[in-house]
Amino acid sequence: MAFEPEEVSPEEVTDHVDSAIEDNEVVLFMKGDELMPQCGYSRKALGLLTQYREDVETVNVLRATDAYREALERHSGRETIPQTFVDGEFIGGSDILEQLDERGDLEAKVSG
Amino acid sequence: MDKEEVAALIEDELPDVTATVTTPRDPDDDKHYAVRVVSPAFEGKTLVDQHQLVHDALGEHLTREIHAIELRTLTPDEAE
Repeated sequence: MAFEPEEVSPEEVTDHVDSAIEDNEVVLFMKGDELMPQCGYSRKALGLLTQYREDVETVNVLRATDAYREALERHSGRETIPQTFVDGEFIGGSDILEQLDERGDLEAKVSG
Repeated sequence: MDKEEVAALIEDELPDVTATVTTPRDPDDDKHYAVRVVSPAFEGKTLVDQHQLVHDALGEHLTREIHAIELRTLTPDEAE
């Protein structure tokens, strides 16, 4: 049986992005999931965040990548994946997380 | 899009900028770039805002022709 990707409407994606950002202290929009990240940048972002938080909510954008890019752009002004939000605020993609971590600022940032 | 074009896009948009573009994975890789950008325009800005300036300079090219950039933004003081 062939695997058919589920159809998701842009409205569902918008609602999902809005509620994921609103309902979680730390949420990571990524390619793949926590067990199998599908992109090195998503894997790096996840690793940086989970050093300090066990309760990182992840959202896999690959089921409707373009719709997720558009919905995320309304929150962060950018379309790149991964994106991290803490308490509703966009804090960065993988390279900002890395730069924050090198400065010793990431733990405080994700502790909310 | 090659390294020189990526650097030129950034240097056209930001004041007094130095953009250094490298290919961290493979010299012929034209999808993944590491970009180091030094500009006084970053002073007093958060990392998110600093990165946003560079993302805006790249515009539509990012996510389309470029899969990803590893971006490092520095003020002239930090770069010394």
